Amino acid sequence: MNYNLNQASAKEARKLPALASLRKLVSIISGERHNIVIAFSAIFLNAGLSLLGPYMVGYTIDKYVQTKNYHGVLIFAGILLAMYLVAFIVNYAQMRMMGGIGQRMLFSLRNSIFNKLQDLPLDFFNQNKAGDLISRINNDTDKVNQFFSQSLMQFIGSLITMTGAGILLLIINLPLGLAAMSPALILWIFTRGISPWVRRRNEASLKSLGNLSAEIQESLANFRVVIAFNRRDYFRRRFEEANGENYKRSVQAGIANNMLSPFYSFASNVGQLIVLALGIWFIIKGYFSIGLLISFISYISSFYNPLRQMAALWANFQLALAAWDRISLLLSFENNLKIIPASNEVSSSSCINFANVSFTYPNGKEVLHKVSFNLQKGRTYAFVGPTGGGKTTTASLIARLYDATKGTIFLNGRDIRSYTPCERASKIGFILQEPILFSGTVRDNLLYGNPDCSGLTGDQLGKALEDAKLSGLLKRFDKGLDTPIQMTGDGISLGQKQLISFMRAILRKPELLILDEATANIDTVTEHQLEEIMENLPSSTTRVIIAHRLNTIENADEIFFVNSGKIIPAGSFSEAINLLMHGKVES
Amino acid sequence: MGSSGKKAKAGTGQSAGLFSVLGPYRGTVILLIIMALGGSGVNLLIPKIISHGIDSFSAGNFSVRLVITEFLSAAAGIFIFTFLQGILQTFTAERVARDMRTRLADKISRQSYSYILRSNPAKFLTNLTSDMDSVKMFVSQAFVNIISSLFVISGASILLLRINWKLALAVLGIVPIIATSFYIVFRKVRVIFRKSREVIDSLNRIINESILGSALIRVLNSQQPESMKFLENNVESRDLGLSIVRLFSVLIPIIMFVANLAVVTILALGGHFVVAGSMTLGNFAAFNSYLIMLIFPVMMIGFMSNIIASATASYGRIRQVLDEPPPVESGTVSSPIRGDIQLKNVSLSYGEKPVLKNISFSINAGTKTAIIGPTAAGKSQLLYLLANLIVPDSGDVEYDGVAAEEYSREVFHRQIGFVFQDSVIFNMSLRDNIAFNDAVTEGSLMKAIETAELSEFIESLPEKLDTIVSERGTSLSGGQKQRIMLARALALNPKVLLLDDFTSRVDRKTENKILCNIQNNYPDLTLLSVTQKIAPVKHFDQIILLMEGEIIATGRHKDLKESSPEYIQIYSSQRSTQHYEL
Repeated sequence: MNYNLNQASAKEARKLPALASLRKLVSIISGERHNIVIAFSAIFLNAGLSLLGPYMVGYTIDKYVQTKNYHGVLIFAGILLAMYLVAFIVNYAQMRMMGGIGQRMLFSLRNSIFNKLQDLPLDFFNQNKAGDLISRINNDTDKVNQFFSQSLMQFIGSLITMTGAGILLLIINLPLGLAAMSPALILWIFTRGISPWVRRRNEASLKSLGNLSAEIQESLANFRVVIAFNRRDYFRRRFEEANGENYKRSVQAGIANNMLSPFYSFASNVGQLIVLALGIWFIIKGYFSIGLLISFISYISSFYNPLRQMAALWANFQLALAAWDRISLLLSFENNLKIIPASNEVSSSSCINFANVSFTYPNGKEVLHKVSFNLQKGRTYAFVGPTGGGKTTTASLIARLYDATKGTIFLNGRDIRSYTPCERASKIGFILQEPILFSGTVRDNLLYGNPDCSGLTGDQLGKALEDAKLSGLLKRFDKGLDTPIQMTGDGISLGQKQLISFMRAILRKPELLILDEATANIDTVTEHQLEEIMENLPSSTTRVIIAHRLNTIENADEIFFVNSGKIIPAGSFSEAINLLMHGKVES
Repeated sequence: MGSSGKKAKAGTGQSAGLFSVLGPYRGTVILLIIMALGGSGVNLLIPKIISHGIDSFSAGNFSVRLVITEFLSAAAGIFIFTFLQGILQTFTAERVARDMRTRLADKISRQSYSYILRSNPAKFLTNLTSDMDSVKMFVSQAFVNIISSLFVISGASILLLRINWKLALAVLGIVPIIATSFYIVFRKVRVIFRKSREVIDSLNRIINESILGSALIRVLNSQQPESMKFLENNVESRDLGLSIVRLFSVLIPIIMFVANLAVVTILALGGHFVVAGSMTLGNFAAFNSYLIMLIFPVMMIGFMSNIIASATASYGRIRQVLDEPPPVESGTVSSPIRGDIQLKNVSLSYGEKPVLKNISFSINAGTKTAIIGPTAAGKSQLLYLLANLIVPDSGDVEYDGVAAEEYSREVFHRQIGFVFQDSVIFNMSLRDNIAFNDAVTEGSLMKAIETAELSEFIESLPEKLDTIVSERGTSLSGGQKQRIMLARALALNPKVLLLDDFTSRVDRKTENKILCNIQNNYPDLTLLSVTQKIAPVKHFDQIILLMEGEIIATGRHKDLKESSPEYIQIYSSQRSTQHYEL
């Protein structure tokens, strides 16, 4: 399955129209309906009050200041003050509500993206870059939030003012009103025409930001090599390239975003000109008075000023839509490792059974070809073979990190695809080739993904470790369980990382334990200790050991030789050696 | 009180610093301001043209052509001004961001490895993306708006003062109120913005870890705890965001209310003046219209305050990285390295934990040395020291009698090949991954590929050397990655080769071939290999046994086999399978 976000977005031209996109986005904050209603009422009220203010002032001047009735002036000043107090509260409510909705939407969006990431299979992570994903979770969601918490309010406020002014214009004089608003119609058509282009430009700019982020992430993660090979210039050059590209795309997007404003200004001026010319002509014809023309012209600016403001807001809207497109593409991915209904429960003495399994990585060559083998419960198996032969792939299939392209894999006699992830994880312990630790302490890492042990008190945990014969290994860490761990830091050696991974897997007491060269960087003396720990596991435990260090596999009950897409039983230990030493290396 | 005052001072200093980002772009910025002011200036002409048109119509000397010409030229003027303003604004903002990113990346790239380790790489990512974005927003949106707002405010204030200074002073009384509320909110919000950026740092870290650990998470089915970790930080981020919203949703209504209060004041006080006859109605009306001119920019500044506060916090974070003292200058010795290595009383510790204790040994050029020892003995750190990636707390690392740090970096790193224990693969072609230094020639590249036994593998790829490797090398097997790392180091034609547990993921047969190839193709190489296996290094000139940061024994295999009990223990742990190996 194609999980590549950047390729998918290029291929999929199926962009949703703006409104449909917006509806999908709004569905994320459907829980906020109540707040949205309040916020929108506040926006309406606020827009109304701000229209009413100047009118009241004008009225007071005409009615009381001109007639020198100071008492009336004071009364109206009082009313105005009261009105502004209300506006103050409404304004507060509006900002608080919309800001809150924006923040909570940002929160839900980030959560849904992160949870989607957790939901997707390993394949997805092989096809996408860490920095780009981070950019989608942090930068793109922020663009959507900015529109929601800031622009949308002004947008609606402007829309309301504009509509009010428009209606007034039509009431005062229908033909003149229509003529005055005709440039707005042209603007509307223009805006509709230009919007997809603006959105594309913004999308390209966000994409280049994602690339920049990916570039930074990769270079920082690999900084050691950059320094050891004296390639600081390499970091700068790669960065410069991505930075330059981002600059180009952002300038293009920025210009597209600023393109609307001058046209809106121009249209509003043309509108005023039309009114002036047509109004004077009407006056000559005797349809209209000068007084009316003056007030008409003042309303025209109430119509066009908010429209001008909307030009900038519209660009923000296009940016938010572009960001949302990137997010929704990610959200639209589905995990292709579906759970199939369980077939009849069969009791089987075999732990793992491969039946005619073939496997091909997406956009890669076939790694396994029609492989069949059977692993009995409670026995120890070794998989040996040259690098790149398919050992890790076989182990990954057993742990269902991927699904077989063809054929079926059975776990305890049942199709492995019929297990829930939870059931499967509790049965299988897989120590990966590259040890993975999370920032935290040794304790956090030992208990990671182990619901059975995470509730244990310090003493109980100590006993559990003692029972599993693991406490001796803890001495390798200067502060024992409390030794701090940094995922990216190098204060801890690869061998130590492998020790923690090993202990983590043992502590979970799996039925099937897979070690994928899991002890390659651990010294041989300690390795003997690990063997004792493994022997201490219940006799029903099935062990699969992938290694090329021969001493680690000599205790295996059966040895399989993995190479060139085939897995063949090696019969005896010496036959395995023979195959390994003289067999064909790589296809 | 005193400390908060000091903090506030630092805050204003930072805001001022924010404006300084525009310094190098003075020309463009001035042009931008001219465009903005020009646009609003011409905009003021429009009402004049309209009223002039109406007046002349009333007077009976109305010229349609004149009005239309005037009007259209004003409209065209506005169009051109706003158009150019938009373009200039974009260019200025993007150039500020691009150049600052370059400076930041440049700064980071010059730092030492230990600095990068100490600082959080997730923070650099935020610095270069989100932080930069808010500075950009300040330049593109807030800056011009504030300048033109201030311009309009001062212009309108002068006009107000000229019409009626008593009334004007009453109106301008709102300025200190607004300034005070700004000051109070800013002081609080700056801290929150800073914190919220730090939460973004940890969100970045969590996402990154969940991506690096994606395979493990799926094996353990631990998506739930990952989501919980993320949720916890996301909740914090949301709450900080809500506190910011809370502060601004007080500040902006206050500004608006105070501005509206001015309107009421005018109405009451000005009305009083008119009624009392000390002010004409015309002046009162003019006063009123100028006041409305004044209020809009005041509100604009209110809206922009959010952007300024966020940009100030971000710029402070960026400055922190930029102001970091530059790392020690590279040395100047550029003579070729022969390969005599000497360590004199070298000690190293991480925090309070000693990693290496007073290590001394010497290696002669062209010889082969192995370092063996248990996990966490400090072997890798020793290699990092030798590669000058980290510096010892005390003691010297010398090459040909010259301290490592005295060599020019370029010259040094080109002669020392380092094969890391874990694989570091870049998302680019195999060719670029292996020929990672510009000095690599086609010939040395081919020799390295051949030596690392990669030819067959590369031949099997449809695009050979130009095959693009995925990020983190997910498309390659462990052994392939490790051999690419070796080829990368060999392609330099190094004088000294440091191998960190290189053979751990390569099968025995390939390992033998590779060691043999190195012997044949690079006969003069000084080799230093950290390893777990004794068999391949039996014939080495020197074996150093390292335990808990101390050298336990040094010598050839046949000597150590007799004299060192620890060595014998390691050796015997491997003996059971010895007869199969070789």
